Amino acid sequence: MKKIKNSISITLLLFGLCLNAQDYKFGKVSKEELEEKYYPKDSSAAAVVLYRNERIWFQYYQKSGFQVVTNVHERIKIYNKDGFDYATKAEQLYKNGTDAENLSGLKAFTYNLVDDKIVKDKLEKSGQFQTSLNKYRNEEKFTLPNIKEGSVVEYEYEIHSPFYYNIAEIALQYDIPIKKEEISIATPEYFVFKPFMKGYLMIQPKYSTNSGTINIQSKSRSQSVRNIQNTKYSNSQIDYKVNTVQYNVEHVPALKEEPYVNYMDNYRSAVKYELQYVKFPNAPIKSYTSTWESVIKNIYKSESFGGQLKGNRFFNEELEKLKNASSSQSELALSIFKHIQERMTWNKYFGYYVDKGIKDAYKERTGNIADINLLLLAILQEAGLEANPVLISTRSNGVPLFPTMEGFNYVIASVQLGEGTVLLDASNKYTKPNLLPTRALNWLGRLIKKDETYETINLSPQSISAENTVMMVDLSSEGKLNGKLRKVYNEYNAYQFRNTNIAISEDSYLEKLENRNHGMEISDYRIKNKKTVGKPITESYAFNLDNQVDVINDKIYFSPMFFMATEENPFKLNERNYPVDFSYPWQEKYIINVNIPEGYHLLSKPKDISLVMPNNMGSFKYQIMLRGTSLQLSVDLMMNQAVVGTEQYGGLKELYSKVVEKQVEKVVLTKVIGETSINELKEGK
Amino acid sequence: MQLTFRIFFLFLCLTGTAQNQKYQSLLLDSSLSDNANAIVRIDEMNIHLSSYNEMSYEVNQVVTILNSKGNSFGVNRVGYDKEKKIKDLEVYIYDNLGNEIDHIKKRDFEDVSVNDGISLYNDDRMLVNRYTPVSYPCTIALHYTIETSDTGFFPQWYFVSDYNVSVEESRYTINYSDYGIKPQIKEYNLEEIQVSKKESEGIITYEAADIKAYRPEQMAPSFSKIIPRLRVQLKQFSLKGETAEFNDWKDFGLWVNNSLLKDRSNLNAETTSKVKSLVSGVSDTLERAKIIYKYVQDNTRYISVQIGIGGWKPISALDVDKVKYGDCKGLSNYTRALLKAAGVESYYTVIQAGNGKIDFEQDFAGLQGNHAILTIPYKNEYYWIDCTSQVHPFGFLGDFTDDRKALVVKPEGGELIKTASYLNEQNFQGINGEYILDPVGNILGFVKISTKGVQYDNRFGLEKESPEDVVKYYQNTWNNINNLKLDDYSFENDKDQVLFTETVTFKASNYASISGNRILFSVNAFNNNSFVPNRYRNRKFPFEITRGYLDEDTLLIKLPDGYKIEAVPEAFNEENEFGHYKVSFEPKEEGHSIVYKRSLFIKNGFYPKEKYGDYREFRKMTAKMDNSQIVLVKK
Repeated sequence: MKKIKNSISITLLLFGLCLNAQDYKFGKVSKEELEEKYYPKDSSAAAVVLYRNERIWFQYYQKSGFQVVTNVHERIKIYNKDGFDYATKAEQLYKNGTDAENLSGLKAFTYNLVDDKIVKDKLEKSGQFQTSLNKYRNEEKFTLPNIKEGSVVEYEYEIHSPFYYNIAEIALQYDIPIKKEEISIATPEYFVFKPFMKGYLMIQPKYSTNSGTINIQSKSRSQSVRNIQNTKYSNSQIDYKVNTVQYNVEHVPALKEEPYVNYMDNYRSAVKYELQYVKFPNAPIKSYTSTWESVIKNIYKSESFGGQLKGNRFFNEELEKLKNASSSQSELALSIFKHIQERMTWNKYFGYYVDKGIKDAYKERTGNIADINLLLLAILQEAGLEANPVLISTRSNGVPLFPTMEGFNYVIASVQLGEGTVLLDASNKYTKPNLLPTRALNWLGRLIKKDETYETINLSPQSISAENTVMMVDLSSEGKLNGKLRKVYNEYNAYQFRNTNIAISEDSYLEKLENRNHGMEISDYRIKNKKTVGKPITESYAFNLDNQVDVINDKIYFSPMFFMATEENPFKLNERNYPVDFSYPWQEKYIINVNIPEGYHLLSKPKDISLVMPNNMGSFKYQIMLRGTSLQLSVDLMMNQAVVGTEQYGGLKELYSKVVEKQVEKVVLTKVIGETSINELKEGK
Repeated sequence: MQLTFRIFFLFLCLTGTAQNQKYQSLLLDSSLSDNANAIVRIDEMNIHLSSYNEMSYEVNQVVTILNSKGNSFGVNRVGYDKEKKIKDLEVYIYDNLGNEIDHIKKRDFEDVSVNDGISLYNDDRMLVNRYTPVSYPCTIALHYTIETSDTGFFPQWYFVSDYNVSVEESRYTINYSDYGIKPQIKEYNLEEIQVSKKESEGIITYEAADIKAYRPEQMAPSFSKIIPRLRVQLKQFSLKGETAEFNDWKDFGLWVNNSLLKDRSNLNAETTSKVKSLVSGVSDTLERAKIIYKYVQDNTRYISVQIGIGGWKPISALDVDKVKYGDCKGLSNYTRALLKAAGVESYYTVIQAGNGKIDFEQDFAGLQGNHAILTIPYKNEYYWIDCTSQVHPFGFLGDFTDDRKALVVKPEGGELIKTASYLNEQNFQGINGEYILDPVGNILGFVKISTKGVQYDNRFGLEKESPEDVVKYYQNTWNNINNLKLDDYSFENDKDQVLFTETVTFKASNYASISGNRILFSVNAFNNNSFVPNRYRNRKFPFEITRGYLDEDTLLIKLPDGYKIEAVPEAFNEENEFGHYKVSFEPKEEGHSIVYKRSLFIKNGFYPKEKYGDYREFRKMTAKMDNSQIVLVKK
């Protein structure tokens, strides 16, 4: 049996070779590649990666030990001018003190077809640029010469990195299609890595093992009586196993942007190698991260994280005051939170490790996320509350699909109170318990307990953020509106309102509001709880507006939601590959009362409607009726789920198209009552 | 596309500095805090010019930040390069009582590369420090000194650096060692504020105090046109180690010729003969120029690399020829060399590019401009080409470099000439279409759109877009048509006539709204212009329409059977100083169809603020008329 299997795979291999007549050796660019006018599998591609080979292996240097070497070879076809950007390549290289990654062995050529002949141009030094971006990063860039529509570019280079414990994420998908790619990672047995895949691409890796050797040259000196030195050189050789993983893929589609996706890179196919442990002969195992448990333990153990939570006395005085003023655990937790929220200002840097350290941060009243939230946590713990840190990946950091240190970039505090687990983030001035900044609302967080175990915790807000509007308007026979409006902003609506509007003057805000509402003129503006974080904001005003109604002959036409109607469906795509993300569940409610002008009668009005998406994911209600001389309208649009999956997208789009259709639908009033109109009036009612 | 980013640096220099005084911010003048995110307590620059190529300047700037929108004053950047050295850089932070809460020394600043967002490479660097205010108000005091041999970009002075920033005290002093190197100064908009100018031998000082915060206003002229400021320059100066001297634009042109372009336009024999063969048999020089421009567009691309005097000096034509890329200077110079080989004369031209139109000023010749193009003389006319564009038609500039005075470098010296302008009717859009409305409110039909001038510039990029992006484009442009679906589309780009034509067939469900027995719809489906300028309770600035346009629409709408027209708006015609609006709705075929005609003309112009209300009324009317409804009722 075994033999048969082998022979099958050999024939398959040969077969595979025959199919693939194209030559991907460096420099073997074919005429067919140069002649191709568009990519057959995606004619909209401005460029395509014809071939991409990335090989990663470990090389031993007697002086510096193991280094990671990455060899990159790419051949790219440029179809049109929009693809010219792919003739420029940039690599960012890390440095830390005297250790630095470096790029070497660069060779690059442009190929063009001139008079039916292949002409190649070499990349010269003048097309290469090195920049020191900052303390931790250098950048190497190069741009190829003689780029035309139809050119093929090809380049190869190596990056040597002393940071063997961190192999950068290997992208398997680009913003342009990849025709064929071959990726391999070869690691000596001493280094145990674990691969993590993400994205929608299905790839079967191939595993193999071979051997490597290290030659160690050692020198020994001996001194004789007459002080003559002898130096002896000796060579020793160490053999070790090398484990290789290969990813060979063909026809990888381009990653295309879609609107309302929280972070496109979440969906890019890639593989990340995470170091688990290092085990050299005759040395103990040095463990790196491998599971969420060990990642979390590693983070927790750090002086910049768990270390911050030990033996803090610098705020004891303040804490005593807060304790004395509180009568319950909940009250104490809230007053500690408020104290830190008021005292601290975020410096806009993320991170789960402190930057200044909580003590200095407290003194300076500023710090990064960890400075602020670990400080909050330290005080909560010092106060005797059961408080624990929660590690998070922000929306801009993507969803952490596999356990890595970089899978997190943010930390908040949690506290166990009678009502359950309460989440706290003091880095924003307008958050409150269980209301986190939207940047932190990204799927799951990991709550770390004192014994260094963790539990996952859902970050998606469960409660609905409502916005309720009540409007009473008088409509004049000239089509002018004169009304009063009251709007209540709850939860995230209040949070967003405060973040956007507190820093601007009331005058500027009103000007903005007036212009947004089609130039209405506002008077008697009042706002309640603008700065009372935790309470809903209520604003009310009187207004005049004159461009919302059509008066034609003896009739008046208007949409009873007037300037508040949603006139455009934000969901235009027919289908989506990625979910729609609203951040939090929400509701918009309107109660509108329109007093119709004297002498006018209702001729027709929109029909009532009530729609519910499957599983009550979202709903829309529209009811309108005439009571005496006033039209009463009630509209309720609700989204019970923060994230709508692609399979439910059709329903969402449909719901929204009904919302738009209904909200712009017109009421018709008439002055004259003739024969036909009376019949119509009956229908209207 | 920019020649240089040194101008950008000058702005940075402006945001600068500190005395050892303590600044409290408990008591602030309310006239200065009105509409202000920050109050500049003092902004002071003291320049010592010891020779044409040796200068130092000291910057002291103290800013009280009032709220989070003023936080950018907490970020301090100071640029430097090979010629320009930073001395004594430090920042002090004070709380509202004037207590020092932080002291940031030069070594605490981060040293980073200047990323201008355009260049592949740029050798300019800067020191940066970011301070985050922890409570408001707080005060930032910045102090530094620069020593430099570069005097070409002499520090300019803005009495106000931004909108929503007020200034308590502003002082700009130049000390010069010798009358021969006395700088020339030009003043702008100083009548707006109280400025005192003192001049004695070897010293010039400008002082201003208590400047209230300006608020941004829609349609206001660009900031540099309305803000009080000074332009300052030397007749003789040094730029990256090279000396230059000029009295007027003619001299400037000679300097560009002799120092920057000299020996840069050689070509090898192969390329020269290639050019000759390209134009062989074509005698007309304009036709030859078109052939060469097309060759350049097909064979080169734009890559910006700014090294040393590279900010001004083009890389040689030989080098561009080899790699087939370059920045605006390199590509312009290369094209000029090719044109010369083809027997066509052309002039290297330096210009201030950007959507706002900024002129080179006749009476103030100095280093200016951020872009290079070519001017081609032909039969007493000038044609202009931008060699960084691979897609624009020959002789068409678009809104990036139109209608402004630029420096045209002729062999006999420089000359200011205004570039091609697209002011009024030249920016044309014509729409011709037809659609059928059915009884449930769906529409289907076709529309043909032709554009010229700047409207062409806004549209012709469509032909390069992918089908998905084209669909998205129309869905966004006609966002008044919900549920829009395209059945087909095609584009025609006539580069000779500079005319772009789009033909689109479409359908959309529920375009009209049904109300009982009635169907209501807005007849103007494709050019529903809802723009109304913002209302200001108290407008300060004049307003400007930088580019006018003319839109003409004709639509035929077929109405559903079984319905009659109940209401149709009346024809309307208004003509005023801002342009005109004409519209008519004409029932045809016994009420089975309607012909809709509309013409909107907006005139280019500069208007005093008193007219703003009138313009707003005009646009309110056009917006309302554009949304005019037709009502049909069941027979």
